[in-house]
Amino acid sequence: MQRVGWFRSSSGNRVVISLTGLGLVGFVVFHMLGNLQVFEGPDALNTYAAMLRDMPMFLWTARIGLLGVAIFHIALAIQLVLRNRRARPVGYALREYRHASVASRTMALTGSVLLVFVVFHLLHLTAGLADPSGNNRLDAGGHADVYGKVVHAFQNPLYVVIYLVGQLALGVHLSHAVSGSLQTLGIEHAAFNRLFKAAGPAVALLVVFGNLAIIFAIFFGIVRA
Amino acid sequence: MTRLDAKIPSGPLEAKWDRRRFSEKLVSPANKRRIKIIVVGTGLAGASAASTLGQLGYDVECFCFQDSPRRAHSIAAQGGINAAKNYQDDGDSVARLFYDTIKGGDFRSREANVYRLAQVSTQIIDQCVALGVPFAREYGGQLANRSFGGVQVSRTFYCRGQTGQQLLLGAYSALCWQIERGRVTMRPRTDMLDLIIDEGHARGIVVRDLVTGQITAHTAHAVVLATGGYSNVYYLSTNAIGSNVTATYRAWKQGAAFANPCFTQIHPTAIPPAETQQAKLTLMSESLRNDGRLWVPTALSDRRAPGAIPSSERDYFLERRYPGFGNLVPRDVASRAVKSICDEGRGVGPGGQGVYLDFSDVIEQQGADVVRERYGNLFDMYRRITGEDAYQTPMRIYPAPHYTMGGLWVDYNLMSTVPGLFVIGEANFADHGANRLGASSLMQGLADGYFILPYTIGHYLATTRLDLPVADHSVSRAAVERVTGRLNKLLQSSGGRTAASFHRELGRILWDHCGMARSDSGLNRALREIPSLREEFWRSVVVPGSGETFNQELEYACRVADFLEFGELLCHDALYRKESCGAHFREEHQTADGEPQRDDERFAHVAAWEYREDGPPILHKEPLTFEFVQPTTRSYQ
Amino acid sequence: MKFTLKVWRQRGPDDKGRFAVYEARDVSPDMSFLEMLDGVNQSLIPTDEEPVAFEHDCREGICGSCSLVINGVPHGPDRGITTCQLYMRQFSDGATITIEPWRARAFPIIKDLVVDRRALDRVMQAGGYISINTGGAVDGNVLLISKEQAENAMDAASCIGCGACIAACKNASAMLFVAAKVSHLAALPQGNPERARRVMAMMEAMDREGFGSCGNQYECEAVCPKNISVRFIATLQREYLRAGIVESGLRTEPDSADQESA
Repeated sequence: MQRVGWFRSSSGNRVVISLTGLGLVGFVVFHMLGNLQVFEGPDALNTYAAMLRDMPMFLWTARIGLLGVAIFHIALAIQLVLRNRRARPVGYALREYRHASVASRTMALTGSVLLVFVVFHLLHLTAGLADPSGNNRLDAGGHADVYGKVVHAFQNPLYVVIYLVGQLALGVHLSHAVSGSLQTLGIEHAAFNRLFKAAGPAVALLVVFGNLAIIFAIFFGIVRA
Repeated sequence: MTRLDAKIPSGPLEAKWDRRRFSEKLVSPANKRRIKIIVVGTGLAGASAASTLGQLGYDVECFCFQDSPRRAHSIAAQGGINAAKNYQDDGDSVARLFYDTIKGGDFRSREANVYRLAQVSTQIIDQCVALGVPFAREYGGQLANRSFGGVQVSRTFYCRGQTGQQLLLGAYSALCWQIERGRVTMRPRTDMLDLIIDEGHARGIVVRDLVTGQITAHTAHAVVLATGGYSNVYYLSTNAIGSNVTATYRAWKQGAAFANPCFTQIHPTAIPPAETQQAKLTLMSESLRNDGRLWVPTALSDRRAPGAIPSSERDYFLERRYPGFGNLVPRDVASRAVKSICDEGRGVGPGGQGVYLDFSDVIEQQGADVVRERYGNLFDMYRRITGEDAYQTPMRIYPAPHYTMGGLWVDYNLMSTVPGLFVIGEANFADHGANRLGASSLMQGLADGYFILPYTIGHYLATTRLDLPVADHSVSRAAVERVTGRLNKLLQSSGGRTAASFHRELGRILWDHCGMARSDSGLNRALREIPSLREEFWRSVVVPGSGETFNQELEYACRVADFLEFGELLCHDALYRKESCGAHFREEHQTADGEPQRDDERFAHVAAWEYREDGPPILHKEPLTFEFVQPTTRSYQ
Repeated sequence: MKFTLKVWRQRGPDDKGRFAVYEARDVSPDMSFLEMLDGVNQSLIPTDEEPVAFEHDCREGICGSCSLVINGVPHGPDRGITTCQLYMRQFSDGATITIEPWRARAFPIIKDLVVDRRALDRVMQAGGYISINTGGAVDGNVLLISKEQAENAMDAASCIGCGACIAACKNASAMLFVAAKVSHLAALPQGNPERARRVMAMMEAMDREGFGSCGNQYECEAVCPKNISVRFIATLQREYLRAGIVESGLRTEPDSADQESA
């Protein structure tokens, strides 16, 4: 009984959101690092993709795990947002923030945008439903031509814009989320607080720059098919 | 006819309290749950009493007018709390704390009570530590002390400048526990407006629910008043806006004797009033006088900026009049000196109400950083309130009513002249005599609430009858009718003056004639002016809204109405006491060089006043005998 | 000085409420904000109009009664103070000032600018104490508590319970309040025996009262009149995590022997 109560409480709830969120951050960083192989040419990226596919147990465990973590994260977040909305039924006529950053005030918005973006991203590049044109091409080594698909996608200004919006949402969300999660998990120390505070924006910048580098490199023809 | 029997146990001073505790009857544990006790007020005394009584197993109902018991005005006490722990090994002892308190009170308090207070003081600290009060500590982990209020030992325990707050939060947390356990029923936002008396015993109170306006009677086997002091009778004081005399004054009108109302303490170092709308005065710590020098321009109409006045044209009046103690003379002496200077027309600042408290010498000698380290928060507070930088220009200070030693008369058991009515903390008169020492009020409030009342009330409860008048009993109904009648009268009067305007006027009369220096002619004048002001009040006060809702103006007007009556009692007592002792200074009774003259021949007694409906109050005297200490004269020259 | 005041007026909990506009004239820069409001009320009373209800008591920044949101900020534009310590010299002459009550579901409005903050007391009653009896406490010096530890406890304990943190929080969360209480007692050895029980009970009570959850925005700290640090929220979270682990490892059901003795 006690433990169920613990998770249901607003703070237990937040601990789970933080942990799942940090898990997702880990994935996003890993994902970005993997994708950076686009700069090493088609072979590197396609071999990397093939290697992942050659481990179906690992791949599907990771995929299902990620999905579970994401569902937990989102469901609890929705629950939290609803509870917070209820906590102040009548708002202020005039409101001035002193400290709260734009990122912190728009977590629900950036989170929602991210969700839509991720669904699109999965349909687009993972399942290939959004743009089936490059789905079944193989590269010279006989691997599925992930590289070609990516390059094809970001030569299209429409996709570039969609991905830019997604990256913006991701960056803003992470810039508050990471430091906030550390606080929620009770990680605080006078000597390291500045480091913890900087962790969010740093991770956000890292991920967004990495991803944007790929998109822009392709769009401006630095990386080409 | 009231008889004053202090019921002081016999025997040596050290053994009196033990003897009393042994001779008292106990209430059987089985009966405790059936015994109901009402506690009014949740400051240090009230909260500690209510929580302890609840813990003992009584059925406690606790009332306060604030929205939470934690906001009672004890919370504002800054300095600290005294206890005879002798942790510093500097020669302190129960006997020394006892003697300092008796002497500080100018030999107008009971030896037995004060000794017990000193005895119990050590337990208070232990209790508060156990409750989690974060007292200041030394690096080694032991409790830290400072010296306070001019005594020669370090016996004051403190939590930064928020000792009262931390002690109250400790008592409040203990109260919270008893509320959670169902032992105490807490009723915040209720105002006690009358006392219910059945067959000569206090059996309940009438309260107004400040949110709904409902008037209800609550009955109990005993009533404990912990409702604080009456400094707000002066309108401007350092008390909280809501602090009032109503509970004790209503009890007085129901037969409880009021003792020594003229003993009111006026603190020398408050920030002077800046404008006419000002609602309260803010205290600056007394410690400022350790380094600051008080002065005014020597010339009567010198309106130059302080920095432009050369030191030869300044009058350092405390150093001039009291070369021995200089700026460190006790509160009452400093306050009177400031007032007399301002009365001469040499005061500075708006309305000539203020003197300079100058730090330029110490800044010059030791540097601004030293001063900042010692008093930085006080200088910041001063700047916030006045907009002036005290590092550059001298502070201005002026005395302010601060604490009232007088209160309802109680015996050694803290019971008033009405059986079943107990009075604790600042609301009673017992321990401070004519003047209170710094850091002693917190000690007294907690001593009464944690350690004294819970014992002594048991004896009364063990010997009283256990059936109660019910809430619609005729005595309860009569009390409720008294209250509603008064409230309706207030709501119906339809003049054009606000209650605050009367309060201000009353405050002005009392400040001028019954403040720091009192005279026969002034007091007689006040006694003429107050009744006519009161008549004018009932004729032309306006209270908007109804009694059935949240109505702050009605609450306030009710309190002002009682102040307007109580002010007269205050002046009566001041007029009667034809001597100067402690905080009470009669101009007729001073030495050639302006020092107070106490009269132990004629006035070594407590003056307890009994209410009479038709005519002036009746005086009863409780003689003060000193078996263990010899009254001496205070001298600070 | 002269000001236009836009003041929230609401007759009772069920009234819809609206803004009323008043002129504050002849205001001295040396007046406190509440004295300025007193002045407005003094001019309303003789016209038999009900004065603006607002809460106040000690007027020196320690009782925690005053509770006004001034121009969108709890306790107004200055920092580290309560409303009663705010002076009119902080405002420019002729300005319009908007005054609203604390707004939160857990703080229902009683009248005008006065709200019911008993929710905070109920959170305290759930466990914000050390449950020891009066009398019989050991000597205060038996427990040695380092100066740093005592100062840390005092930093947390200086909370005045005004509720500005809740009023300022986007989610009307009471985390800074609860954090201050829990951290104060958790920092001291006396608080140790009930450490896990206390934090669980207080957090549960906080949720029950309908406060929102912490969004780590630290708006609470920015308006706190006592500058209570949000690091105590991290402490609270640590205590809570610890309690969750400790509780799950301990028996919570008393065994039969205990029941017999009870």
